[in-house]
Amino acid sequence: MNRNDGSSIEAVRLWVLRLFVMTRKELLQLGRDVPLLLFLLYSFSLSVYISGAGIAMQLNNASLLVHDGDHSESSRELIHRFHEPYFRFDGEVGDPKEGLTRLDQGTAMVLLDIPPRFRESIQGKEPVTVQLQVDTTNAPQGLSAAAYAARIVGGFSFDLALSRLGAALGDDMRMPVVDSAHRVWFNQDQDETWFQSISHILRMITLFAFLLPAAALVREKEHGTVEQLLVSPVTPLQIMLSKVLAMTLVILAATALATATVLKPVFGVPIKGSAPLFFLLTAFYSFTVAGLGLFAATVTKNQAQVGMVALLVISPMLLLSGITTPFEAMPPWVQTLMALSPLRYYIDITYGILLKGSGLELLWDSILAMVLLGGTLFGLGLWRFRRQFQ
Amino acid sequence: MNLRRVTAVATKEWKETVRDRLFLLMSFLLPPLWMVVFGYGLVLDVEHVPFAVLDRDQSSLSRDYLYRFMESRYFDYRGSVYDERDIDRLLGDTAIRMAIVVPERFAEQLMAGSSVTVQTLLDGTFPLHADTLKGYVIAINRAFTQELLTDFLARTRGLVPEEARRFVEPVSLETRYLYNQEVRSTWSMVPALIMFALMVASPLLTALGVVREKETGSIYNIYSATVSKTEFLIGKLVPYFVISMVNVAVLWAIAVWFFGVPFKGSFTAFFLASLLFILCSTGIGLLISLLVRTQMAALIITIIIAMVPTILFSGLLVPVSSLSLGAQVQAHLFPAMYYTDVVRGSFLKGLGLETMWTDLFALAGFAVGLRLVAYGLFTKRPKA
Amino acid sequence: MQQYDRPSIRSVLSPQPSDTIVNVSGFVKRYKKDVAVDGVDLEIRKGEIYGLIGPDGSGKSSLMKAIVGVLTYEGGSIDVFGTRVDSERAAEQIKPKIGFLPQGLGLNLYPELSVEENIDFFAHLRLVPDEDLAERKARLLAMTRLERFRDRPMKNLSGGMKQKLGLICALIHEPDLAVLDEPTTGVDPVSRRDFWSILAELLEEKGMTALISTAYMDEAERFHRLSFFSGGKVLASGVPAEIRALVPGSIVTCEAHPQLTAIARLKTRFRQVESLGSLLRVFIDTTDESEAQSQIEALLGDLIPSSFRVEEAGLEDVFVALRLQKSESKEVSDVIADSATVHDRDGLAIEAEGLIRDFGSFRAVDHVSFRVKQGEVFGLLGANGAGKTTLIKMLNGILSPTGGAGLVAGVDMRMATGSIKERIGYMSQAFSLYLDLTVEENIRLFAGIYGLDKRSMSQRFEWIVTMAGLSGYESSLTDSLPMGVRQRLALGCALVHSPRVLFLDEPTSGVDPIGRRHFWEILTRLAREGNVAILITTHYMSEAEHCDNLALMYAGRIVAEGSPEAMKRQVEEVGGRLVEVVVDQPRRALMHLLQAGFHGTALFGTTLHVFCRDPLRDKARACEGLEGRGVRVISVKERPLSLEDVFVYRVMALERAEPSTKQEAAA
Repeated sequence: MNRNDGSSIEAVRLWVLRLFVMTRKELLQLGRDVPLLLFLLYSFSLSVYISGAGIAMQLNNASLLVHDGDHSESSRELIHRFHEPYFRFDGEVGDPKEGLTRLDQGTAMVLLDIPPRFRESIQGKEPVTVQLQVDTTNAPQGLSAAAYAARIVGGFSFDLALSRLGAALGDDMRMPVVDSAHRVWFNQDQDETWFQSISHILRMITLFAFLLPAAALVREKEHGTVEQLLVSPVTPLQIMLSKVLAMTLVILAATALATATVLKPVFGVPIKGSAPLFFLLTAFYSFTVAGLGLFAATVTKNQAQVGMVALLVISPMLLLSGITTPFEAMPPWVQTLMALSPLRYYIDITYGILLKGSGLELLWDSILAMVLLGGTLFGLGLWRFRRQFQ
Repeated sequence: MNLRRVTAVATKEWKETVRDRLFLLMSFLLPPLWMVVFGYGLVLDVEHVPFAVLDRDQSSLSRDYLYRFMESRYFDYRGSVYDERDIDRLLGDTAIRMAIVVPERFAEQLMAGSSVTVQTLLDGTFPLHADTLKGYVIAINRAFTQELLTDFLARTRGLVPEEARRFVEPVSLETRYLYNQEVRSTWSMVPALIMFALMVASPLLTALGVVREKETGSIYNIYSATVSKTEFLIGKLVPYFVISMVNVAVLWAIAVWFFGVPFKGSFTAFFLASLLFILCSTGIGLLISLLVRTQMAALIITIIIAMVPTILFSGLLVPVSSLSLGAQVQAHLFPAMYYTDVVRGSFLKGLGLETMWTDLFALAGFAVGLRLVAYGLFTKRPKA
Repeated sequence: MQQYDRPSIRSVLSPQPSDTIVNVSGFVKRYKKDVAVDGVDLEIRKGEIYGLIGPDGSGKSSLMKAIVGVLTYEGGSIDVFGTRVDSERAAEQIKPKIGFLPQGLGLNLYPELSVEENIDFFAHLRLVPDEDLAERKARLLAMTRLERFRDRPMKNLSGGMKQKLGLICALIHEPDLAVLDEPTTGVDPVSRRDFWSILAELLEEKGMTALISTAYMDEAERFHRLSFFSGGKVLASGVPAEIRALVPGSIVTCEAHPQLTAIARLKTRFRQVESLGSLLRVFIDTTDESEAQSQIEALLGDLIPSSFRVEEAGLEDVFVALRLQKSESKEVSDVIADSATVHDRDGLAIEAEGLIRDFGSFRAVDHVSFRVKQGEVFGLLGANGAGKTTLIKMLNGILSPTGGAGLVAGVDMRMATGSIKERIGYMSQAFSLYLDLTVEENIRLFAGIYGLDKRSMSQRFEWIVTMAGLSGYESSLTDSLPMGVRQRLALGCALVHSPRVLFLDEPTSGVDPIGRRHFWEILTRLAREGNVAILITTHYMSEAEHCDNLALMYAGRIVAEGSPEAMKRQVEEVGGRLVEVVVDQPRRALMHLLQAGFHGTALFGTTLHVFCRDPLRDKARACEGLEGRGVRVISVKERPLSLEDVFVYRVMALERAEPSTKQEAAA
């Protein structure tokens, strides 16, 4: 009985030891690849900063040209309402045609055309129409610019109407108006750096978690080292798991680096929820994506092929899971397809923990989905890997 | 420069590429696939935003008001709650992005001619969302108010509705959408996806080229032969250049015939720019190939370098002009931006060489610069 | 036939100094801080075959690369064709006249391209005109017997064929200087002969000069002049005779029992003592036969030697002696460690029962059966592509058999659990350790995989470093190691867990003679004292002599098996007695003897080995014939068969019988 216990403890010790030496091997190999390491460092520090600080999906400084046919106090007041950060006044043109040329060249995005006798019409209580020409080669941005312009002109018109009504009805006369009061949660100042820097980290985690283990496994196949391993008592599970473990460690370290050097000190991202939970789930996520990467590695023979498969899998993940664009707006078929993307769940988890302070009670469904997906992918990879050498 | 040697290198490279079936298949399959999937699937509009309502008034007017949100394609009604704490939970769980709280006595006050404040609670994790949503809410509120006012004026001042409306809306805006009159997301996305495909796939095609030969040792054939550095670098490039050019043609056809995006501009400019751009993107791959030691590093660095700036700094999603200064600098240091300009200009704006020569010039600069650096980095007589 | 009139050994002629093609003086190459080559002088003259010989990591490859202008160097000067190779620009000038074949079997070729496409690529790269190309290609393909495989992808060629293709590719532009780095490493004896005769013919025909390095000492006899490299310096240079004269001595072989005592006694005086089966082989620093015999007898004392024989020492022995003179030899540690604990002494370690493996329509292994007991060294011989590697891979569970069974310790390795896998060690033919880990990290990795604890790990580490001669390399990246050192490391890693069964697939490819001797000493002791079963493949027939039992594979089948002695007896029964003929024009003599019906005749270095059914009559017939064709016969004497004779005889006989089969098998 005792001997049995002893040998099973020994077996577990050996199993763990093997996993440990294999994991250490992966880390050593990665440590030898200096260019890759430097690049990893860059990706999780400076690169996060540049994306965080630099990218604004909100309409930002849309270049505005004005053709003012009136040059009155009223027209100036209207123009004045087109201000930063949404619009950047880029000068007046004498002729609408000149403005259109600038739009053609892409040096301006919006042309506001105020008709002659603008002030006169307003004062004469004549309805007047202001024209706006928008470059919609980038449709969402064009729409966005048009929406802001409508908001501004609408506001101008509304204020005018109210003041006129006020004048007509006397100050004591009250009017039925629905006002808007907004409360923005989780990011009161709508600081876009929070969103962009976090989404950049998600992007990097995804890319590295997929590519590192996939490339490492293909390299073992290419160099034939995998045969040496298969003859040894190391099991396919240990071979794959060690890669995942090593890469997960690296990614956790990199994420910690990004959090400690950029997210918190530079952008002041609040970590409202539990940091350990965030890192734990990041580890789960890396594991999941690594499983996907390893699966890709088992169906390919060389680095070029695994690269192509990576592009096939990763680009939809990055573009359609909702870190670059809002997920709700995606067509239903994309949403269905993306149920298979672990990133989709990880996005909710990350923003939930970091910005909303959510805990397990709210995130359990996303976590469950991610873990299930990860387990399945890893299992599939393992199955393929085993089968390949049978 | 000897054409036979270039041909020799190119032929060898071509045969090796062609015999890697999976690789070849992917290099022709991926770009059209991306175009179709992202052309249809990558929707940037803020639409179908899930929201909930807390109607404390429960009047027919409040229902009429809320109905406007439920009807809008921008919003997606997810239900009513009766307690503000439920809103906290739903927002925290990302079940909704917005909640509208209609105050008590909403109808009563408005009918009495006084103003009422409706509160909207927004999820700020996606600031773009939050901001756009604010705009939508304001627009709906304003329209609702205008109707109320028109009605009110008609009731209290006896104005005909038409007159009242004019009174309420003295200045209106007429917007004309240029280049893409129906403002189709696909129209603006699809041409830019040509850029995406070339920028993401082409570098990978070339990236492993030189490192692979270094890893296996066949690079010594080149070192010890009389083939010059230029001949070798050009020869290596030819097959990938050909694949990429074929892809340009295929993508162009899909854009025009499948998505129906108009091509209004000049073929010369488009062709020239594509040519230069492929030289740039393959040049990036080549450069990485020369800088790293292992195929693994080449692969990872290439994919990330190709993908990340392409998504962020190329003008694909965000116009370069709305980036911050630092990001704009980075965008200008990356050839994709110029090509995006040319592609959209050629397709949607109908521009020609005369307006886009600066972009072409920049692309040419990158193509030459990258080649020069590669030439400098490549040595046939290394230290080890 | 004009070309044959020129004597192929021209070492006696001393070309004019103006004929100097390569002049190296004070050459120094450093890799970061490591000095690879430290002050080497060398002069290669027009038309000669110049050899570089030396242990792994002695700087041969660095020097060759620097000469062809694909590696920078830190000191000294290199002039090639009168051009000082000191810049990329200068290097470009000499490249048209140079053909370079880098080290590594087929590594510089393109696996996906066919034989013809590979040749075309090199030719086009060198701007060979189309008509010349067609003509040369036809001739070279015919010469190398590769013409039937024009369209076969290079990756499907056997090692010997790859190397011949590599040679064609390196010489397709008919360079004035061919630089070939270990062109025959990993190539079987028959293909090696093929390779050399093709090379010699080409060089002679076109008046090419060649610089060649090799790990096979018998090949060194073919060099006109050679340099011995060691530790980045040249130990000696000159024509083979001069080199041999540096360490005058002879080889004594004899039998004495008990062998271990005999060895111990002989070792008190002589440093080169080996056991070859039941025979002892000793290098004695005298050329006088009776003197040698008396020295040996004196040492052996009461052990009376039998079948006593004295021979001229070969270059390999001289090489080893030279190395031993210059440096303290690293004595192999006596630790065979815990493998000495004897388990199942007479158990069956490996058992193959009618193993078959098909790749598509091609049968790589065809009904192979054999058994290896614990404590037995079993050698698997055969040409490249005969199916040895496939067989080993089936036995250790990497490949599944199409039919039959392969058992290790009674278990099918494919079903084996960890505990059985712990008992086997495997060293694959293609180097398969981690190039980006250091020597120490590689060893520790495998020690960990096999579950060694800290204490036994460090013990084992020490042992491997000493055993494999890796001291000084511990923290070097494996990538930077010369091929031979890598092989030794791979062996160390395969032995890290003291396995009970060892599979070694060409473990000594590219390892220098001293390394190989150490290696075999260890293997023999593992088997004798540690009772380890060893299945080994090798292309060094001198090594095969160490095996207890051998099997010769041909086209996937075992065509002969038995102990080395039995194998030799079998050949003698079929082929007759072996006669060694020394002549002044060996290749011409070979042609004649083959035509004259001496089918077993083969070239060994510069001498001919002829099988004679009736020695007296045949000797006379052969000599007459040769003299009649203007070949001067220097000496003719009978000698005992070596395993190399057995191999060459067997394989050539089989190839003659079915010329197409070998080529099919090679795929």
